[in-house]
Amino acid sequence: MEEKRPLILIVDDVALNRTLLSDVLCDKYDILEAKNGNEALLLLRERTSEISLVLLDMVMPKKDGMEVLTIMNKNGWINEIPVIMISVENSHSLIEGAYSLGVTDFIGRPFDEMILLNRVSNTIRLYAKQKHLSDLVLSQIYEKTRNNSMMVTMLSHIVEFRNGESGMHVLHINTITEMLLHELLHRSKKYKINKDDIGIISTASSMHDIGKITIPDEILNKPGKLTPEEFNIMKGHSLNGSLMLNSVPFGKDEPLMKYAYEICRWHHERYDGRGYPDGLKGDDIPIAAQIVSIADVYDALTSERCYKKAFTHEKALEMIHNNECGVFNPLLLDCLDAIADKLVASLQTFDWNKQADKDFFYIADTMIKDQKHPIYNQAFRQFINERKKSNFFESMLNDIIFEYTYSPSIVKFSSSAAKKLNLPKTIIEDDKKDTSNIDNDNWQKIKEALLQQSPSKNDTVQINMELTIDGNKVPCKAVFLQIWNKTQNEAPVLTSVYGHIEVLNK
Amino acid sequence: MTLFELYSSLGESLDEVLGRLRMESRIAKYLGLFLNDPSYNELKEAFAAKDAKTAFRAAHTLKGVAANLGLSKLSASSSELTEDLRPCEFTANSQALLDKVEADYTTAVEGIKQLEQ
Repeated sequence: MEEKRPLILIVDDVALNRTLLSDVLCDKYDILEAKNGNEALLLLRERTSEISLVLLDMVMPKKDGMEVLTIMNKNGWINEIPVIMISVENSHSLIEGAYSLGVTDFIGRPFDEMILLNRVSNTIRLYAKQKHLSDLVLSQIYEKTRNNSMMVTMLSHIVEFRNGESGMHVLHINTITEMLLHELLHRSKKYKINKDDIGIISTASSMHDIGKITIPDEILNKPGKLTPEEFNIMKGHSLNGSLMLNSVPFGKDEPLMKYAYEICRWHHERYDGRGYPDGLKGDDIPIAAQIVSIADVYDALTSERCYKKAFTHEKALEMIHNNECGVFNPLLLDCLDAIADKLVASLQTFDWNKQADKDFFYIADTMIKDQKHPIYNQAFRQFINERKKSNFFESMLNDIIFEYTYSPSIVKFSSSAAKKLNLPKTIIEDDKKDTSNIDNDNWQKIKEALLQQSPSKNDTVQINMELTIDGNKVPCKAVFLQIWNKTQNEAPVLTSVYGHIEVLNK
Repeated sequence: MTLFELYSSLGESLDEVLGRLRMESRIAKYLGLFLNDPSYNELKEAFAAKDAKTAFRAAHTLKGVAANLGLSKLSASSSELTEDLRPCEFTANSQALLDKVEADYTTAVEGIKQLEQ
């Protein structure tokens, strides 16, 4: 495959100077020209990840070279795009100023063509290498962190499944814990936790019941009331969970391990000191355990269990406040009240994709803030922002929108789309089977439409169909943007579709 | 007049420019573009308008362009004017320095105009 030519941005107010540089460089490079600082900044903002090098003049009208450098520093561009300053300037202090603002090199006028070419190619090569390495590290950290939180979730699901529960409990606890933590941090600085701990404690909360794998099936899944002996065995799960974690030979100093230990061991303590296993009282109970404890009780009350029916949100809050299911820190009860309304909505609309996104943003945020290894990867930042943007627009739209990938066959509908079409938000189909396991007329029609291809291989396709929305058959117009994967030697392959469906008014 | 004759008549070295820019055709092209470069006129206008900041910038630009084309005399006189104007104020010397730039510029431009097409 032919290698893409690096793109160089030439910034100089004098047309003659730009021509001179671009004549020298155009054999090997693609050239962008800007005739002042403002134009340069506009191009830098729009094409940050494409530009390989900036050749910057110092003295210009409408933002000079130093101003451009200052803004490149502010936006972090200077860390990713090398700048070579070219100027007839020979003031020592100005040149020093340029270096201190991060220019890679300074070339005086008149310049020698050969030297210019070599400095340009060396600088680009060096930065490309560095960028490749930082991308590599970035993707590895990302994968690792993602896999870690996935492993924790999987582990906790195994425990839940044995319990005959759907696995939603763990996810609910996650969400409630996170919301309570945000509220607590907002209200009080009393506890030694900060914003970065929120993600770790939420992840650790997934493990609160791992000790239950030591409890025999007959007791764990007994439909009726437990005898005092059985209840004593059941109570052993908190201590057992913490002992299991303690026997893990590594990670003792990791915050995740520390919080998981606290949560496992003390999520059945009571604020009045009458809980188990240690009878800790008040703030002797670590705050992470206190929070998970209240989250656990709330979700247990509002869910159906083998021994009870689900209580309503209001009834559950009332029972918690009346100390019917334990005694809690009054500050945390205030936090629970404060998030009560949001909580119902969050738990009802819980979906896996959002959870994955939350993990993703959390990881991304942590990495960007990392003092020792900050991310200089502009493309990565842009990607994060694009994702936030599309999530936002999706949430604001009441339209039917979806994304579809062909292999594997996965469709994701927006919340409002799933509701209107009476379909799950995500449908994954088995490639080998012809028939869909979803028996829904709307899905069959959309699927048929997805099989049609645009003749020009890069266009949108428009298809009219009749769908059932809110129980009524209505004519609709579907517009699909088809994404083709083009490689040099093979025929283009249709990989995915972005779709919008509009209800046509009669 | 050939390129060589032009540089000789201006007391400049074509070899020096060729060493940097490689091709005679390229040098001839830039000399042509130099005739249309607005820096010199901007400099004159800035003096007339008593705008020292713009005058500094124009002198700075002229110095760079001249240096690239191997017009070392014009580059030197522009450089002196640039330094004179760096604080963005006219001094007692400014006018005399501009006169020197004007003389060098006129000589260079007259020569370039006689270059064979």
